[in-house]
Amino acid sequence: MSGSRLYPIVVMLLLLTGFVSRLCWAQNTDGSDQQTIPLLVQQVKELQRQTAELQEKVKALEAKNGPVAASSVVAAPATAAPEQVSDRMSAIEAWDKTHGIQWRGFGEVNYKALDQRKPELAAAGFNPGSAGGFYTANTVLLLTSRISDKASVLSEFEFEEEEAQTYSVSLERILLKYDYDDHLKMSFGRYHTGIGYYNTAFHSGAWLQTTADRPLIMEFAHDGGLLPTQAIGVSVTGSVPSGKAGLNYIAEYGTSDTNRPDINGSGLSDDENNGNHVNLGLFLRPDRLPGLQIGGSYYHDRVSNSETAFSPRYGQTIVNGHIVYVAHGMEFLNEGFLIRYTQLHTPVVFDTPAFYSQISRRFGKIRPFFRYQYINGSAHNPIHEDVGLRHGPSFGARYDLNDYIAFKAQLDHTLRRGQPDLNGLHLQLAFTF
Amino acid sequence: MKTKSISVLLLTALAGLVFIPRATAQGEDVAAVVNLDNPASNISQVDLRKIFAGEKRTWDRGLRIKLIVRLPGCHERLVLLKLLGMSESEYKQYWAAQVFRGEADSEPFAAPSVGMQKEAMKVFPGAISLLNAQDVKPGMKIIKVDGRLPGAVGYPLH
Repeated sequence: MSGSRLYPIVVMLLLLTGFVSRLCWAQNTDGSDQQTIPLLVQQVKELQRQTAELQEKVKALEAKNGPVAASSVVAAPATAAPEQVSDRMSAIEAWDKTHGIQWRGFGEVNYKALDQRKPELAAAGFNPGSAGGFYTANTVLLLTSRISDKASVLSEFEFEEEEAQTYSVSLERILLKYDYDDHLKMSFGRYHTGIGYYNTAFHSGAWLQTTADRPLIMEFAHDGGLLPTQAIGVSVTGSVPSGKAGLNYIAEYGTSDTNRPDINGSGLSDDENNGNHVNLGLFLRPDRLPGLQIGGSYYHDRVSNSETAFSPRYGQTIVNGHIVYVAHGMEFLNEGFLIRYTQLHTPVVFDTPAFYSQISRRFGKIRPFFRYQYINGSAHNPIHEDVGLRHGPSFGARYDLNDYIAFKAQLDHTLRRGQPDLNGLHLQLAFTF
Repeated sequence: MKTKSISVLLLTALAGLVFIPRATAQGEDVAAVVNLDNPASNISQVDLRKIFAGEKRTWDRGLRIKLIVRLPGCHERLVLLKLLGMSESEYKQYWAAQVFRGEADSEPFAAPSVGMQKEAMKVFPGAISLLNAQDVKPGMKIIKVDGRLPGAVGYPLH
Protein backbone atom coordinates (compact mmCIF):
# COMPACT_ATOMS: atom_id res chain seq x y z
CA MET A 1 0.00 0.00 0.00
CA SER A 2 1.46 3.37 -1.04
CA GLY A 3 2.02 6.30 1.33
CA SER A 4 -0.61 8.44 -0.44
CA ARG A 5 -3.26 5.76 0.15
CA LEU A 6 -2.27 5.33 3.80
CA TYR A 7 -2.41 9.02 4.54
CA PRO A 8 -6.24 9.52 4.60
CA ILE A 9 -6.60 6.39 6.75
CA VAL A 10 -4.09 7.71 9.27
CA VAL A 11 -5.88 11.07 9.38
CA MET A 12 -9.23 9.32 9.90
CA LEU A 13 -7.76 7.19 12.69
CA LEU A 14 -6.32 10.27 14.38
CA LEU A 15 -9.67 12.06 14.13
CA LEU A 16 -11.48 9.02 15.53
CA THR A 17 -8.98 8.71 18.37
CA GLY A 18 -9.33 12.39 19.14
CA PHE A 19 -13.13 12.27 19.27
CA VAL A 20 -13.17 9.11 21.36
CA SER A 21 -10.68 10.59 23.82
CA ARG A 22 -12.72 13.81 23.82
CA LEU A 23 -15.87 11.85 24.67
CA CYS A 24 -14.07 9.84 27.32
CA TRP A 25 -12.62 13.00 28.76
CA ALA A 26 -16.06 14.60 28.83
CA GLN A 27 -17.26 11.72 30.94
CA ASN A 28 -14.24 11.13 33.09
CA THR A 29 -11.75 13.94 33.34
CA ASP A 30 -13.83 16.87 34.46
CA GLY A 31 -12.16 18.01 37.67
CA SER A 32 -15.44 18.50 39.53
CA ASP A 33 -16.77 15.08 38.42
CA GLN A 34 -13.62 13.44 39.64
CA GLN A 35 -14.30 15.01 42.99
CA THR A 36 -18.04 14.47 43.01
CA ILE A 37 -18.31 10.82 41.98
CA PRO A 38 -16.17 9.37 44.77
CA LEU A 39 -17.97 11.62 47.22
CA LEU A 40 -21.38 10.46 46.00
CA VAL A 41 -20.24 6.84 46.24
CA GLN A 42 -18.98 7.51 49.72
CA GLN A 43 -22.26 9.19 50.70
CA VAL A 44 -24.31 6.29 49.28
CA LYS A 45 -22.18 3.85 51.25
CA GLU A 46 -22.64 5.95 54.37
CA LEU A 47 -26.43 6.04 53.84
CA GLN A 48 -26.48 2.29 53.28
CA ARG A 49 -24.59 1.78 56.50
CA GLN A 50 -26.94 4.09 58.38
CA THR A 51 -29.96 2.32 56.91
CA ALA A 52 -28.60 -1.05 57.98
CA GLU A 53 -27.99 0.28 61.49
CA LEU A 54 -31.49 1.70 61.63
CA GLN A 55 -33.00 -1.53 60.43
CA GLU A 56 -31.15 -3.35 63.18
CA LYS A 57 -32.46 -0.86 65.73
CA VAL A 58 -36.01 -1.15 64.39
CA LYS A 59 -35.86 -4.90 64.57
CA ALA A 60 -34.59 -4.71 68.15
CA LEU A 61 -37.30 -2.23 69.11
CA GLU A 62 -40.01 -4.27 67.39
CA ALA A 63 -38.85 -7.36 69.19
CA LYS A 64 -39.05 -5.49 72.45
CA ASN A 65 -42.07 -3.17 72.06
CA GLY A 66 -43.98 -4.44 69.07
CA PRO A 67 -44.28 -2.68 65.64
CA VAL A 68 -42.88 0.86 65.48
CA ALA A 69 -44.67 3.75 63.76
CA ALA A 70 -43.16 4.81 60.43
CA SER A 71 -42.65 8.43 61.58
CA SER A 72 -40.22 7.35 64.29
CA VAL A 73 -38.03 5.54 61.77
CA VAL A 74 -37.87 8.60 59.55
CA ALA A 75 -36.81 10.80 62.45
CA ALA A 76 -33.96 8.54 63.46
CA PRO A 77 -31.34 9.61 60.86
CA ALA A 78 -31.72 13.25 61.86
CA THR A 79 -30.79 12.44 65.44
CA ALA A 80 -28.11 9.89 64.53
CA ALA A 81 -26.16 12.07 62.12
CA PRO A 82 -24.81 14.58 64.67
CA GLU A 83 -23.62 11.69 66.84
CA GLN A 84 -21.76 10.19 63.91
CA VAL A 85 -20.29 13.57 63.07
CA SER A 86 -19.25 13.92 66.67
CA ASP A 87 -17.65 10.48 66.54
CA ARG A 88 -15.69 11.45 63.46
CA MET A 89 -14.62 14.73 65.06
CA SER A 90 -13.43 12.80 68.09
CA ALA A 91 -11.56 10.48 65.75
CA ILE A 92 -9.85 13.45 64.10
CA GLU A 93 -8.89 14.86 67.50
CA ALA A 94 -7.56 11.46 68.55
CA TRP A 95 -5.64 11.18 65.28
CA ASP A 96 -4.08 14.57 65.91
CA LYS A 97 -3.04 13.60 69.41
CA THR A 98 -1.58 10.24 68.45
CA HIS A 99 0.23 11.82 65.53
CA GLY A 100 1.59 14.40 67.96
CA ILE A 101 4.11 11.71 68.86
CA GLN A 102 5.93 10.93 65.68
CA TRP A 103 9.12 9.26 64.70
CA ARG A 104 11.04 9.09 61.50
CA GLY A 105 14.21 7.30 60.57
CA PHE A 106 17.03 8.05 58.18
CA GLY A 107 19.58 5.52 57.04
CA GLU A 108 22.33 5.14 54.51
CA VAL A 109 24.57 2.51 52.99
CA ASN A 110 27.77 3.79 51.41
CA TYR A 111 30.55 2.54 49.20
CA LYS A 112 33.61 4.73 48.99
CA ALA A 113 36.97 4.36 47.29
CA LEU A 114 39.85 6.82 47.55
CA ASP A 115 43.21 6.64 45.82
CA GLN A 116 45.03 7.94 48.88
CA ARG A 117 48.41 6.41 49.57
CA LYS A 118 48.56 7.66 53.13
CA PRO A 119 45.32 6.97 55.01
CA GLU A 120 43.51 9.94 56.47
CA LEU A 121 40.76 10.12 59.06
CA ALA A 122 38.55 7.09 59.58
CA ALA A 123 35.13 8.60 60.19
CA ALA A 124 31.61 7.19 60.25
CA GLY A 125 32.73 3.66 59.42
CA PHE A 126 34.84 4.42 56.38
CA ASN A 127 38.11 2.52 56.46
CA PRO A 128 40.75 4.80 54.88
CA GLY A 129 43.58 3.34 52.93
CA SER A 130 41.59 0.40 51.68
CA ALA A 131 40.87 -0.19 48.02
CA GLY A 132 37.26 0.69 48.78
CA GLY A 133 34.69 -0.37 51.27
CA PHE A 134 31.11 -0.37 52.42
CA TYR A 135 29.91 1.39 55.55
CA THR A 136 26.63 2.56 57.05
CA ALA A 137 27.80 5.89 58.54
CA ASN A 138 24.83 7.35 60.39
CA THR A 139 21.44 5.89 61.16
CA VAL A 140 19.17 8.49 62.68
CA LEU A 141 15.93 8.27 64.61
CA LEU A 142 13.97 11.45 65.04
CA LEU A 143 11.23 11.72 67.65
CA THR A 144 8.89 14.68 67.90
CA SER A 145 6.09 15.24 70.33
CA ARG A 146 3.75 18.16 70.92
CA ILE A 147 3.13 18.58 74.61
CA SER A 148 0.96 21.69 74.54
CA ASP A 149 -0.33 24.19 72.04
CA LYS A 150 2.97 26.07 72.08
CA ALA A 151 5.47 23.55 73.43
CA SER A 152 6.97 20.49 71.82
CA VAL A 153 9.96 18.19 72.16
CA LEU A 154 12.36 17.06 69.45
CA SER A 155 15.00 14.42 69.91
CA GLU A 156 17.44 12.96 67.41
CA PHE A 157 19.33 9.78 68.15
CA GLU A 158 22.25 8.83 65.96
CA PHE A 159 23.79 5.39 65.63
CA GLU A 160 27.17 5.98 64.06
CA GLU A 161 29.38 3.24 62.72
CA GLU A 162 32.87 3.28 64.17
CA GLU A 163 35.98 1.16 63.84
CA ALA A 164 35.50 -2.60 63.30
CA GLN A 165 31.77 -2.13 62.66
CA THR A 166 30.97 -1.14 66.20
CA TYR A 167 28.31 1.48 66.75
CA SER A 168 28.06 4.40 69.10
CA VAL A 169 24.81 6.02 70.12
CA SER A 170 24.69 9.78 70.33
CA LEU A 171 21.95 12.14 71.34
CA GLU A 172 22.50 14.55 68.49
CA ARG A 173 19.66 16.84 69.46
CA ILE A 174 17.28 17.07 72.38
CA LEU A 175 15.20 20.21 72.35
CA LEU A 176 12.36 21.52 74.39
CA LYS A 177 10.78 23.96 72.00
CA TYR A 178 8.43 26.79 72.86
CA ASP A 179 6.88 28.79 70.03
CA TYR A 180 5.29 31.90 71.46
CA ASP A 181 4.49 33.14 67.97
CA ASP A 182 6.27 33.52 64.63
CA HIS A 183 8.48 36.24 66.09
CA LEU A 184 9.71 34.31 69.11
CA LYS A 185 10.55 30.60 68.93
CA MET A 186 12.77 29.27 71.67
CA SER A 187 14.63 25.98 71.99
CA PHE A 188 16.41 24.67 75.05
CA GLY A 189 18.79 21.72 74.99
CA ARG A 190 21.32 20.32 72.53
CA TYR A 191 21.08 21.82 69.08
CA HIS A 192 22.94 22.04 65.82
CA THR A 193 24.51 25.48 65.82
CA GLY A 194 23.03 28.00 63.43
CA ILE A 195 26.33 28.93 61.80
CA GLY A 196 25.27 29.57 58.25
CA TYR A 197 22.72 27.54 56.37
CA TYR A 198 23.75 23.93 55.88
CA ASN A 199 24.00 22.78 59.47
CA THR A 200 20.40 23.57 60.34
CA ALA A 201 18.98 22.75 56.92
CA PHE A 202 20.19 19.17 56.61
CA HIS A 203 21.22 18.14 60.12
CA SER A 204 22.43 14.52 59.93
CA GLY A 205 19.99 13.02 57.45
CA ALA A 206 21.85 11.92 54.31
CA TRP A 207 18.52 11.39 52.54
CA LEU A 208 17.81 15.11 52.80
CA GLN A 209 21.09 16.04 51.11
CA THR A 210 21.56 16.13 47.38
CA THR A 211 25.20 15.12 47.61
CA ALA A 212 26.50 11.93 49.19
CA ASP A 213 28.41 13.82 51.87
CA ARG A 214 28.48 17.19 53.55
CA PRO A 215 30.94 19.86 52.40
CA LEU A 216 34.11 19.44 54.50
CA ILE A 217 33.63 22.83 56.15
CA MET A 218 30.14 21.73 57.26
CA GLU A 219 31.19 18.24 58.34
CA PHE A 220 30.30 17.48 61.95
CA ALA A 221 33.14 18.30 64.31
CA HIS A 222 33.32 14.74 65.63
CA ASP A 223 33.93 13.63 62.02
CA GLY A 224 36.73 16.13 61.46
CA GLY A 225 34.72 19.21 60.55
CA LEU A 226 36.14 22.61 61.39
CA LEU A 227 33.10 24.23 62.96
CA PRO A 228 31.55 23.76 66.38
CA THR A 229 28.49 22.11 64.89
CA GLN A 230 26.74 21.18 68.13
CA ALA A 231 26.14 22.88 71.44
CA ILE A 232 23.97 22.78 74.54
CA GLY A 233 22.16 25.95 75.50
CA VAL A 234 19.35 28.13 74.29
CA SER A 235 18.48 29.06 70.74
CA VAL A 236 15.98 31.77 69.87
CA THR A 237 14.74 32.49 66.38
CA GLY A 238 11.86 34.18 64.63
CA SER A 239 10.78 36.68 62.05
CA VAL A 240 11.28 40.41 62.34
CA PRO A 241 8.46 42.64 61.08
CA SER A 242 10.04 43.88 57.88
CA GLY A 243 7.38 43.80 55.21
CA LYS A 244 8.31 42.06 52.01
CA ALA A 245 11.99 41.72 52.97
CA GLY A 246 11.22 38.72 55.18
CA LEU A 247 13.92 39.39 57.77
CA ASN A 248 14.58 36.64 60.33
CA TYR A 249 16.99 36.37 63.22
CA ILE A 250 18.71 33.65 65.19
CA ALA A 251 20.46 34.05 68.54
CA GLU A 252 22.21 31.26 70.43
CA TYR A 253 24.05 31.05 73.71
CA GLY A 254 25.54 27.77 74.78
CA THR A 255 28.45 25.45 75.37
CA SER A 256 29.99 23.65 72.42
CA ASP A 257 32.63 21.39 74.03
CA THR A 258 34.04 20.43 70.63
CA ASN A 259 36.42 17.51 70.26
CA ARG A 260 37.69 17.36 66.69
CA PRO A 261 39.87 14.54 65.36
CA ASP A 262 42.62 15.59 62.95
CA ILE A 263 41.62 14.78 59.40
CA ASN A 264 45.14 13.99 58.21
CA GLY A 265 45.19 10.61 59.88
CA SER A 266 47.62 11.60 62.64
CA GLY A 267 45.39 9.96 65.22
CA LEU A 268 45.42 13.15 67.30
CA SER A 269 42.44 15.28 68.14
CA ASP A 270 41.82 18.83 69.27
CA ASP A 271 39.73 19.13 72.40
CA GLU A 272 38.78 22.76 72.13
CA ASN A 273 37.77 23.09 75.76
CA ASN A 274 35.25 25.70 74.71
CA GLY A 275 33.78 28.40 76.82
CA ASN A 276 30.24 29.56 76.23
CA HIS A 277 29.58 30.79 72.73
CA VAL A 278 27.38 33.48 71.32
CA ASN A 279 26.00 33.12 67.83
CA LEU A 280 23.97 35.83 66.16
CA GLY A 281 22.53 35.62 62.69
CA LEU A 282 20.24 37.50 60.36
CA PHE A 283 18.77 36.29 57.11
CA LEU A 284 16.33 37.53 54.51
CA ARG A 285 13.68 35.48 52.77
CA PRO A 286 12.17 38.00 50.36
CA ASP A 287 8.52 37.61 49.45
CA ARG A 288 9.28 38.38 45.82
CA LEU A 289 11.44 35.30 45.36
CA PRO A 290 10.32 32.32 47.48
CA GLY A 291 13.20 29.94 48.05
CA LEU A 292 15.85 32.65 48.23
CA GLN A 293 17.71 33.13 51.50
CA ILE A 294 20.46 35.67 52.01
CA GLY A 295 22.10 35.93 55.39
CA GLY A 296 25.04 35.76 57.67
CA SER A 297 26.07 34.89 61.18
CA TYR A 298 28.68 35.84 63.75
CA TYR A 299 29.90 33.24 66.23
CA HIS A 300 32.29 33.90 69.11
CA ASP A 301 33.82 31.67 71.75
CA ARG A 302 37.07 31.17 73.66
CA VAL A 303 38.93 27.92 73.18
CA SER A 304 42.19 26.18 73.92
CA ASN A 305 43.53 22.84 72.83
CA SER A 306 43.46 20.79 76.00
CA GLU A 307 45.12 17.85 74.21
CA THR A 308 48.39 19.75 74.31
CA ALA A 309 50.28 20.47 77.52
CA PHE A 310 50.46 24.26 77.47
CA SER A 311 47.85 25.52 75.09
CA PRO A 312 47.23 29.25 75.14
CA ARG A 313 43.69 30.56 75.15
CA TYR A 314 42.29 31.72 71.82
CA GLY A 315 39.38 33.84 70.84
CA GLN A 316 37.42 31.89 68.21
CA THR A 317 35.41 33.98 65.79
CA ILE A 318 33.47 32.51 62.88
CA VAL A 319 31.85 34.77 60.34
CA ASN A 320 29.51 33.34 57.75
CA GLY A 321 27.75 34.76 54.70
CA HIS A 322 25.40 32.74 52.53
CA ILE A 323 23.16 33.02 49.51
CA VAL A 324 20.86 30.10 48.95
CA TYR A 325 18.11 29.45 46.44
CA VAL A 326 16.01 26.30 46.72
CA ALA A 327 12.81 26.29 44.66
CA HIS A 328 11.24 24.99 41.47
CA GLY A 329 13.63 22.04 41.37
CA MET A 330 16.70 24.28 41.63
CA GLU A 331 19.20 24.13 44.44
CA PHE A 332 21.95 26.72 44.58
CA LEU A 333 23.89 26.82 47.84
CA ASN A 334 26.74 29.23 48.48
CA GLU A 335 28.40 29.77 51.81
CA GLY A 336 31.58 31.51 52.78
CA PHE A 337 33.36 31.37 56.15
CA LEU A 338 36.20 33.03 57.93
CA ILE A 339 37.38 31.18 61.02
CA ARG A 340 39.72 33.32 63.11
CA TYR A 341 41.75 32.27 66.14
CA THR A 342 43.21 35.16 68.07
CA GLN A 343 45.70 34.30 70.78
CA LEU A 344 44.50 36.27 73.76
CA HIS A 345 46.64 39.19 74.96
CA THR A 346 48.86 38.85 71.87
CA PRO A 347 48.65 40.09 68.27
CA VAL A 348 48.84 36.49 66.97
CA VAL A 349 46.00 35.72 64.58
CA PHE A 350 45.27 32.63 62.48
CA ASP A 351 42.66 32.81 59.73
CA THR A 352 41.06 29.91 57.94
CA PRO A 353 38.93 31.00 54.99
CA ALA A 354 36.55 28.48 53.45
CA PHE A 355 33.65 28.29 51.08
CA TYR A 356 31.57 25.87 49.12
CA SER A 357 29.25 26.36 46.20
CA GLN A 358 26.79 23.71 45.13
CA ILE A 359 24.32 23.72 42.27
CA SER A 360 21.82 21.10 41.22
CA ARG A 361 18.69 20.88 39.12
CA ARG A 362 15.99 18.27 39.29
CA PHE A 363 14.97 16.59 36.03
CA GLY A 364 12.18 14.20 36.94
CA LYS A 365 13.70 11.65 39.28
CA ILE A 366 17.31 12.55 38.61
CA ARG A 367 19.20 15.49 40.04
CA PRO A 368 22.71 16.10 38.69
CA PHE A 369 24.88 18.22 40.96
CA PHE A 370 28.17 20.04 41.02
CA ARG A 371 30.01 21.31 44.06
CA TYR A 372 33.25 23.15 44.56
CA GLN A 373 34.75 23.54 47.98
CA TYR A 374 37.77 25.31 49.40
CA ILE A 375 39.46 25.40 52.78
CA ASN A 376 42.79 27.02 53.56
CA GLY A 377 44.10 26.27 57.03
CA SER A 378 47.51 27.57 57.95
CA ALA A 379 50.16 24.99 58.83
CA HIS A 380 50.91 27.17 61.88
CA ASN A 381 47.29 27.23 63.01
CA PRO A 382 47.26 25.35 66.32
CA ILE A 383 43.73 24.04 65.77
CA HIS A 384 43.60 23.56 61.98
CA GLU A 385 47.19 22.54 61.30
CA ASP A 386 45.97 19.18 60.00
CA VAL A 387 43.71 20.68 57.35
CA GLY A 388 46.05 22.73 55.20
CA LEU A 389 44.83 23.81 51.79
CA ARG A 390 42.17 21.59 50.30
CA HIS A 391 39.99 22.42 47.38
CA GLY A 392 38.39 20.79 44.43
CA PRO A 393 35.21 19.82 42.64
CA SER A 394 32.66 17.10 43.25
CA PHE A 395 30.05 16.10 40.77
CA GLY A 396 27.50 13.37 40.37
CA ALA A 397 23.79 12.73 40.49
CA ARG A 398 21.04 11.77 42.86
CA TYR A 399 18.33 9.44 41.59
CA ASP A 400 15.12 9.17 43.61
CA LEU A 401 13.88 5.62 43.24
CA ASN A 402 10.70 6.67 45.03
CA ASP A 403 9.67 9.13 47.72
CA TYR A 404 11.72 7.29 50.35
CA ILE A 405 14.86 5.94 48.67
CA ALA A 406 17.57 7.81 46.82
CA PHE A 407 20.70 6.55 45.11
CA LYS A 408 23.64 8.90 44.76
CA ALA A 409 26.84 8.62 42.79
CA GLN A 410 29.58 11.17 43.40
CA LEU A 411 33.09 11.72 42.12
CA ASP A 412 35.48 13.90 44.08
CA HIS A 413 38.78 15.45 43.15
CA THR A 414 40.65 17.16 45.98
CA LEU A 415 43.86 19.13 45.63
CA ARG A 416 46.00 19.33 48.75
CA ARG A 417 48.95 21.53 49.55
CA GLY A 418 52.16 19.51 49.68
CA GLN A 419 50.39 16.21 49.15
CA PRO A 420 49.14 14.23 46.16
CA ASP A 421 45.69 14.97 44.80
CA LEU A 422 42.88 12.76 45.99
CA ASN A 423 40.33 11.13 43.74
CA GLY A 424 37.28 9.49 45.19
CA LEU A 425 34.18 7.57 44.23
CA HIS A 426 31.28 7.66 46.64
CA LEU A 427 28.10 5.65 46.08
CA GLN A 428 25.25 5.94 48.52
CA LEU A 429 21.82 4.49 49.08
CA ALA A 430 20.00 6.91 51.38
CA PHE A 431 16.55 6.27 52.71
CA THR A 432 13.93 7.48 55.14
CA PHE A 433 11.33 5.42 56.93
CA MET B 1 -0.13 18.95 -0.68
CA LYS B 2 -3.69 20.26 -0.42
CA THR B 3 -4.80 17.11 1.43
CA LYS B 4 -1.88 17.48 3.81
CA SER B 5 -2.80 21.10 4.61
CA ILE B 6 -6.43 20.17 5.27
CA SER B 7 -5.31 17.33 7.50
CA VAL B 8 -3.09 19.65 9.52
CA LEU B 9 -5.96 22.11 9.92
CA LEU B 10 -8.32 19.35 11.01
CA LEU B 11 -5.84 17.99 13.53
CA THR B 12 -5.23 21.48 14.93
CA ALA B 13 -8.98 22.03 15.32
CA LEU B 14 -9.32 18.63 16.95
CA ALA B 15 -6.53 19.42 19.39
CA GLY B 16 -8.39 22.60 20.27
CA LEU B 17 -11.57 20.65 20.94
CA VAL B 18 -9.71 18.23 23.16
CA PHE B 19 -7.63 20.67 25.17
CA ILE B 20 -9.57 23.94 25.52
CA PRO B 21 -12.36 22.53 27.72
CA ARG B 22 -9.75 20.84 29.91
CA ALA B 23 -8.21 24.23 30.65
CA THR B 24 -11.64 25.49 31.67
CA ALA B 25 -12.21 22.53 33.98
CA GLN B 26 -8.83 23.01 35.63
CA GLY B 27 -9.70 26.64 36.22
CA GLU B 28 -12.23 25.84 38.95
CA ASP B 29 -11.64 28.19 41.86
CA VAL B 30 -10.44 26.83 45.15
CA ALA B 31 -11.42 28.65 48.33
CA ALA B 32 -9.21 29.26 51.34
CA VAL B 33 -11.39 28.29 54.29
CA VAL B 34 -10.82 28.69 58.01
CA ASN B 35 -12.55 27.86 61.26
CA LEU B 36 -15.68 29.96 61.86
CA ASP B 37 -14.16 31.55 64.97
CA ASN B 38 -11.07 32.73 63.11
CA PRO B 39 -11.26 36.55 62.83
CA ALA B 40 -9.19 36.58 59.62
CA SER B 41 -11.14 37.75 56.59
CA ASN B 42 -8.42 38.38 54.05
CA ILE B 43 -4.99 36.96 53.36
CA SER B 44 -2.36 37.70 50.78
CA GLN B 45 -1.25 34.99 48.41
CA VAL B 46 2.27 35.39 49.77
CA ASP B 47 1.11 34.72 53.33
CA LEU B 48 -1.00 31.81 52.13
CA ARG B 49 2.11 30.27 50.56
CA LYS B 50 4.06 30.87 53.74
CA ILE B 51 1.32 29.22 55.79
CA PHE B 52 1.12 26.11 53.61
CA ALA B 53 4.93 25.96 53.50
CA GLY B 54 4.99 25.97 57.31
CA GLU B 55 6.99 29.21 57.38
CA LYS B 56 4.17 31.09 59.10
CA ARG B 57 2.92 28.98 61.96
CA THR B 58 0.66 31.26 63.98
CA TRP B 59 -2.23 33.58 63.23
CA ASP B 60 -1.85 37.23 64.17
CA ARG B 61 -3.24 36.67 67.67
CA GLY B 62 -0.84 33.82 68.39
CA LEU B 63 -3.27 31.02 67.58
CA ARG B 64 -1.39 28.00 66.20
CA ILE B 65 -2.13 27.32 62.54
CA LYS B 66 -3.31 23.82 61.74
CA LEU B 67 -2.96 22.82 58.11
CA ILE B 68 -5.64 20.61 56.61
CA VAL B 69 -4.81 19.38 53.13
CA ARG B 70 -6.32 16.88 50.72
CA LEU B 71 -4.73 13.63 49.64
CA PRO B 72 -2.83 13.42 46.33
CA GLY B 73 -4.98 13.30 43.23
CA CYS B 74 -7.52 15.94 44.28
CA HIS B 75 -7.90 19.26 42.51
CA GLU B 76 -7.25 21.09 45.78
CA ARG B 77 -3.95 19.21 46.13
CA LEU B 78 -2.87 20.32 42.66
CA VAL B 79 -3.71 23.92 43.53
CA LEU B 80 -1.70 23.57 46.75
CA LEU B 81 1.32 22.25 44.86
CA LYS B 82 0.98 25.07 42.35
CA LEU B 83 0.86 27.59 45.20
CA LEU B 84 4.04 26.12 46.69
CA GLY B 85 5.78 25.60 43.34
CA MET B 86 6.50 21.96 44.11
CA SER B 87 5.87 18.55 42.65
CA GLU B 88 4.16 15.88 44.78
CA SER B 89 7.51 14.24 45.41
CA GLU B 90 9.14 17.54 46.36
CA TYR B 91 6.21 18.28 48.69
CA LYS B 92 6.72 15.01 50.59
CA GLN B 93 10.47 15.57 50.81
CA TYR B 94 9.94 19.16 51.88
CA TRP B 95 7.71 18.19 54.81
CA ALA B 96 10.01 15.38 55.89
CA ALA B 97 12.75 18.02 56.02
CA GLN B 98 10.54 20.49 57.87
CA VAL B 99 9.87 17.93 60.60
CA PHE B 100 13.56 17.00 60.75
CA ARG B 101 14.53 20.65 61.10
CA GLY B 102 12.08 21.06 63.95
CA GLU B 103 10.09 23.54 61.88
CA ALA B 104 7.01 21.36 62.19
CA ASP B 105 5.85 18.64 64.56
CA SER B 106 4.27 16.62 61.82
CA GLU B 107 3.23 16.75 58.22
CA PRO B 108 -0.09 18.53 57.56
CA PHE B 109 -3.26 16.59 58.36
CA ALA B 110 -4.42 15.02 55.11
CA ALA B 111 -8.21 14.67 55.01
CA PRO B 112 -9.40 11.78 52.84
CA SER B 113 -12.77 13.36 52.08
CA VAL B 114 -14.55 16.70 52.01
CA GLY B 115 -16.61 15.54 55.01
CA MET B 116 -13.50 14.87 57.06
CA GLN B 117 -12.04 18.14 55.86
CA LYS B 118 -15.13 20.00 57.03
CA GLU B 119 -15.12 18.31 60.41
CA ALA B 120 -11.39 18.89 60.88
CA MET B 121 -12.07 22.58 60.25
CA LYS B 122 -14.43 22.54 63.24
CA VAL B 123 -12.08 20.59 65.50
CA PHE B 124 -9.06 22.88 65.17
CA PRO B 125 -9.62 26.59 65.91
CA GLY B 126 -6.53 27.56 63.91
CA ALA B 127 -7.37 25.34 60.96
CA ILE B 128 -6.97 26.47 57.36
CA SER B 129 -7.64 24.48 54.24
CA LEU B 130 -8.10 24.72 50.51
CA LEU B 131 -11.41 23.49 49.19
CA ASN B 132 -13.16 23.54 45.83
CA ALA B 133 -15.41 26.60 46.01
CA GLN B 134 -18.48 24.58 45.03
CA ASP B 135 -17.88 22.17 47.94
CA VAL B 136 -17.83 24.84 50.64
CA LYS B 137 -20.56 24.08 53.15
CA PRO B 138 -22.19 25.99 56.01
CA GLY B 139 -19.87 25.87 58.99
CA MET B 140 -16.84 26.94 56.95
CA LYS B 141 -15.60 30.47 56.55
CA ILE B 142 -14.14 31.56 53.24
CA ILE B 143 -11.42 34.19 53.46
CA LYS B 144 -10.49 36.49 50.64
CA VAL B 145 -7.16 35.97 48.92
CA ASP B 146 -5.54 39.23 47.87
CA GLY B 147 -8.92 40.88 48.50
CA ARG B 148 -10.83 38.59 46.15
CA LEU B 149 -13.37 35.85 46.75
CA PRO B 150 -13.61 32.72 44.58
CA GLY B 151 -15.32 33.53 41.30
CA ALA B 152 -14.06 37.09 41.21
CA VAL B 153 -11.92 38.24 38.32
CA GLY B 154 -8.25 37.76 39.12
CA TYR B 155 -8.83 35.27 41.93
CA PRO B 156 -5.48 33.45 42.17
CA LEU B 157 -6.36 29.94 43.35
CA HIS B 158 -7.58 27.67 40.59
